[in-house]
Amino acid sequence: MRSLFQRLSEAIGPSKSQSKDEAKQRLKLLLIHDQVDLPQAQLDRMKAEILEVIAKYCEVEKDDGVEFKLNREDGHVALVSTIPVRRVTARA
Amino acid sequence: MAECIVVTSGKGGVGKTTTSANLAAGLALAGKKVACVDADIGLRNLDVILGLENRIVYDLVQVIEGECRLKQALIRDKRVEGLYLLPAAQTRDKAAVKPEDMKRLVNDLKEDHDFVIIDCPAGIEQGFKNSIAGADRAVIVTTPEVSAIRDADRIIGLVEAHDLPEPHLIINRYRPHMVSRGDMMNKDDILEILAIPLIGMVPDHPDIIVSANRGQPVVFEERSVVGAAYRRITDRVMGIDVPFPSFEADPGLWANLKRWMGLAPAREAV
Repeated sequence: MRSLFQRLSEAIGPSKSQSKDEAKQRLKLLLIHDQVDLPQAQLDRMKAEILEVIAKYCEVEKDDGVEFKLNREDGHVALVSTIPVRRVTARA
Repeated sequence: MAECIVVTSGKGGVGKTTTSANLAAGLALAGKKVACVDADIGLRNLDVILGLENRIVYDLVQVIEGECRLKQALIRDKRVEGLYLLPAAQTRDKAAVKPEDMKRLVNDLKEDHDFVIIDCPAGIEQGFKNSIAGADRAVIVTTPEVSAIRDADRIIGLVEAHDLPEPHLIINRYRPHMVSRGDMMNKDDILEILAIPLIGMVPDHPDIIVSANRGQPVVFEERSVVGAAYRRITDRVMGIDVPFPSFEADPGLWANLKRWMGLAPAREAV
């Protein structure tokens, strides 16, 4: 049983959680993510094509260590990729 | 010119069937001739919400398969002039019906009714595709929760992909109390995210459960705030401009104090 003081301070004091703001923030991210969600097959195809383009300029690791994903960051979705480069091959 | 409206949501349990029942009954109260179709094959419930479960003889699948005539399967509601129910089959599954079947059925119903209301099953598969096949427009039901709104967003996209006009939104289970203390998304929060026009707000209220217990749609209850909310929705569906009342009336500091000290019962959501 909460004391009367606790109840009063909860009632009068500033609300500690505005959980609806959290809900809204999560929803916004979720919807962006839902809308840009790529099926794995397409993501793989895009990955292969991007690697092909990069390979024109650099010698890259083709399989091991290549990371490719859609990341949710605060407020937006980013395509994040890590492609280890062995050496730069092309000359201008 | 008859019109077919599909009531849909994506997520289950947000109040599609209750909305369909009350919208159909409300339109009948307003003098329209309405056919209410339960498209949830295998999990029928609209009959129970309308209190017509004991009068089912034939169902939607039997009509489509030609086992009976459409008129034989329609159950006439005796409480109000012009309200008819076409129940879903309980022993079949959604694959028993195809979108073309539904289109034909809806066209037949439109010949003899002013409105056809379709209670769509949850999900985005066969049952959903059947339900929107014959529809002229859609009403999306959601609740102020992350999961329901997310699914509503998905459904809005699918409705628009099927060449239906921009759907309208009903926000169901609204709790003014939680909204005023910042623990529930308010009307504007939801509209900002879903960005479709609002056609109704229904407060979360015990009357809904009582009316479901009795099989008596709450829109029939003259004095119920929820009944009034459904009557406003009915008017808006018929194109009448009705203002949205504010549900967020503050009871005042004194009433709050009394409640917190246990001198008054907890206020219900209006």
